[in-house]
Amino acid sequence: MGKILFTDFKIFNGTEFIDDREVLVEDGKISKVGKDLDSSDAEVIDGYGKILSPGFVDLHAHFRDPGGEWNEDIGSGARAGAAGGFTTLIAMPNTKPAISEPSLVEYVLSHGKAAGASRILPSGCVSKNREGKEMAELLKMAEAGAVFFTDDGAPIATSSLFRLALMYTGKDQPRIMEHPEEISLFKGGQVHEGKVSALSGLKGIPAASEEIDVARGIALARETGGRVHFTHLSSAGALGLIRQAKKEGLDVTCDTTFHHLTLNENAVINSGYNSRYKVNPPLRSIGDQAALWEGMLDGTIDAIVTDHAPWHMDEKDEPFQDAPFGIASLECAAAVLIDFKNKNYPDVPLELILKQMTSSPASLLPEKWQSLGRIEEGAIADITVIDMERTRIVDCSEWFSKARCCPWEGIALTGWPVMTFLEGRKIWQDNEDL
Amino acid sequence: MNAMPSEVGQIVWRHRNVIDVDCFTREELYFLLDQARHMENVMDRPIKKVPVLRGKMAVNLFFENSTRTRVSFELAEKMLSADVVNWSVSGSSHAKGETMRDTAWTLEAMGADIVVMRHGAVGSAQYLASKLKRAIVLNAGDGTHAHPTQALLDLYTAWKHLGNLEGKKIALVGDVLHSRVARSDIIAFKTIGCDVVLSGPPTMMPREINSLGCRYEKDPKKAVENADMVYLLRIQKERQQDGLFPSVDEYHRWWGADDDLMKYAKPGALAMHPGPINRGVEIASEVADGHQSVILEQVRSGVAIRMALLYLCGGGAR
Repeated sequence: MGKILFTDFKIFNGTEFIDDREVLVEDGKISKVGKDLDSSDAEVIDGYGKILSPGFVDLHAHFRDPGGEWNEDIGSGARAGAAGGFTTLIAMPNTKPAISEPSLVEYVLSHGKAAGASRILPSGCVSKNREGKEMAELLKMAEAGAVFFTDDGAPIATSSLFRLALMYTGKDQPRIMEHPEEISLFKGGQVHEGKVSALSGLKGIPAASEEIDVARGIALARETGGRVHFTHLSSAGALGLIRQAKKEGLDVTCDTTFHHLTLNENAVINSGYNSRYKVNPPLRSIGDQAALWEGMLDGTIDAIVTDHAPWHMDEKDEPFQDAPFGIASLECAAAVLIDFKNKNYPDVPLELILKQMTSSPASLLPEKWQSLGRIEEGAIADITVIDMERTRIVDCSEWFSKARCCPWEGIALTGWPVMTFLEGRKIWQDNEDL
Repeated sequence: MNAMPSEVGQIVWRHRNVIDVDCFTREELYFLLDQARHMENVMDRPIKKVPVLRGKMAVNLFFENSTRTRVSFELAEKMLSADVVNWSVSGSSHAKGETMRDTAWTLEAMGADIVVMRHGAVGSAQYLASKLKRAIVLNAGDGTHAHPTQALLDLYTAWKHLGNLEGKKIALVGDVLHSRVARSDIIAFKTIGCDVVLSGPPTMMPREINSLGCRYEKDPKKAVENADMVYLLRIQKERQQDGLFPSVDEYHRWWGADDDLMKYAKPGALAMHPGPINRGVEIASEVADGHQSVILEQVRSGVAIRMALLYLCGGGAR
């Protein structure tokens, strides 16, 4: 593999911006970070002051493969990730069949590699066939390459299964990722219980649904000493519980999504109940959205995820109440957040959100992948170049993803990833940039 | 019949589709009420027909059973000389295996000019309108969201009795949570300047009532106190199976309208109901059939107001 010298970049190393302007990549790894590096026989890429960041790590994406390739497959998902600046994507296991045995973990890995785009890392179900009854072969799946265990799409069905899985996996195995929801409060729900449910009459999903399940997970983490990662946090109350648990010293972590940070229930109302805003957990109140930003600032939130949930237009383009839940965002998520931050939270440093998209989520992966999300000597050369001046209109018709709609369709955003490298190999470039 | 309020003048009608009443200004509402009065005169003629929709095709697309609303629209369309097609689909579009997009395009290919739709899904009317290029959409009820023609006929009925509605008080009692009638009525009566108060079991109220811009009184007597209009919302008995209230009898004892409850309202206050009524549940027969009841007038108003809307949105006014 060749040698690439990245020169004249503003380098974000996964934690902060550094003074060095050059990165040398050799054999898929970062060999040097510094100034005036020896560039003989290297391909030189001049950044003209653009940002060089570690490739983004998305802990939560759905690819509908196997069983729903009509909506997305691992290849289209991997290419969509590359075009969004994400070099590592954790595939959720709620497919058909669900990923709950080692051979299926291998299926996801091999199809991901074959796509030749972003790195797809599988997660495995906590329960066999995702039925919520018995534990799946967690150790075998970990050995095959699973990096998280989750019954995502649903919470772990019973507290006893949750407890056993925490005891069984302990601190040396992949983390348990919990989809926090108390099912009896969700049943038939469509939107956040609040203003939007009052105005529309759509059945509300109260924030308490999330809080109750987070409280359960925290109690079990305390009792077992296990590690719980709560995904797609949406509510102020649940976030408060996690903040407390962290203070207490428990090994609990959490993420929120690009859309929960940038949208709230008013978007659903103002759209006249357009199904592209239908997602679970639902877009919550302005207060919840503000609380998520507080959680970003004080470090309660460990990662930002897409929860990329693609649907073919024939599935998604329906009246709100009949449409499936899910927002597809891989190809615009980073720009959505950068643009939103610059407009609404101009004083929040860019490092903060970039960290939650790179080194911070990577640190929750198994040992083998710990060097992801960093620009430092010896690290895997996953690199995303960001052009903070680039303005583009979100056009879903051009997406690699098979989902062809999202809440930001037609909106001009400023600050986009423009080049993506996986292990030193360019896997995507914005052809109109540079 | 009251004199035309001063608000009414000639206005330019800018609406094609009617998805909910929130698109109307107060002036437009009064203009519409005045138009309905003219339409009601047509209903009293020996030959109940005017030619404003002659040569236009109206499709009544009903995904939910609703004989009353469908018949009311059909009468209105026929009195305006439209050609009428009733298209009833049992179950949702999904059950039929056709997406609503395809249904919309089929309707347009057949040359429909006006589509009146009732559907169980919130947002369906807005969705249909977004897919139609030529035909207009009148929402005849989309799930729990909106029922604009019901709210307008309620307004029209109240206006005929009470005149200028500004500052008048209306109490809506019953299952607000699942009621598209309540949601549209709240908007319509507030837009026209009424004080709107809600009552009913707390389990059948939206959690954030403030966002609807009206007050809630758990005790219906307090809600009804000094009201000019008492509006009883239909209780669907299956809500009891959902566990939202323990028994029909308990509901009636607390929130059902009987003569005793009506005493708290202003003398001569109107008793209103969207129909069909559940006697002995949300309304006692003594109120439904009593001198304060305008329930059958509401039915008549429905035809008039639908004629007015059809005329303004789909006919000669544009």
